[in-house]
Amino acid sequence: MSEPEEAFKVIQSRSEGVLQSELWKILDVDSRKCSRIVKKLLDSGLIERIEFRKNGIKTFILKAKRRPVDPGLIMAGDELIPCIGCELECSVRECHRLMDWMYELAISESEE
Amino acid sequence: MDDVLTNPAIRAYLFRLIGEDGISLLEKFPREGEYSDEELAAQTGINLNSVRHTLYTLYEKRLAEYRRIKNNETGWLTYLWHLRIEEIYDIISEEMEGILEKLEARERFEEENDFYICKTCGILSTFNQAVDDNFECPSCGLQMGHFDNEILLRALKKRIRAMKETLGHA
Repeated sequence: MSEPEEAFKVIQSRSEGVLQSELWKILDVDSRKCSRIVKKLLDSGLIERIEFRKNGIKTFILKAKRRPVDPGLIMAGDELIPCIGCELECSVRECHRLMDWMYELAISESEE
Repeated sequence: MDDVLTNPAIRAYLFRLIGEDGISLLEKFPREGEYSDEELAAQTGINLNSVRHTLYTLYEKRLAEYRRIKNNETGWLTYLWHLRIEEIYDIISEEMEGILEKLEARERFEEENDFYICKTCGILSTFNQAVDDNFECPSCGLQMGHFDNEILLRALKKRIRAMKETLGHA
């Protein structure tokens, strides 16, 4: 994985964003290199940069523009879809666990 | 990390993969540095076998990585682990691609069939199966009635649409 990709992943994984002054420590690169990586991400429109003052020192919060997938979609109410980690032979038409999940889905959708 | 673990769906996903001990290891895993399985077991108080099982499961999902070092005197290998929990959104995205295919197959099945249900046993049959069984429940023999799958299908379609959208297929 390239350094900008790595940096984007870190930024993307935090919904509240990452301070640029912390990002270079996380990536284990120096601050100048981090600035170049951040510039690449900004230029490609993947992230946004918001000015932020920490203890009077100016830094930036970096946030991913494209939100990562919504993990909530593998849930129906409190029920995780049974396909995750399922080791049974897959029979989508006859899977009772999937049917139960679909009932939960219909219930949770109607409650929304 | 804490951000990730407080998301109920991510937590449920990880719980399915690595169980309670695994989640506990994630919560107690030091934020910096790399550690052997034995060090992690000692530091977290989690059983060594559970630590190993968790690390290998996470490794298979690219959520943990190791560096192997060799002791030149003894020739023993030590594996030093660190987490890659920031990969979780990509991993869930990959899982969701597979799930989406399954849900679309189920959607077609629900659309293409008429269903009959035994109100006593809850057994569901397609029209063809029900014809073969004379509309009698294959388990208790009672008469089966028509089952309206409209609500299920509507919920399924809505979820498929949302998944396509979040995966950037829409």
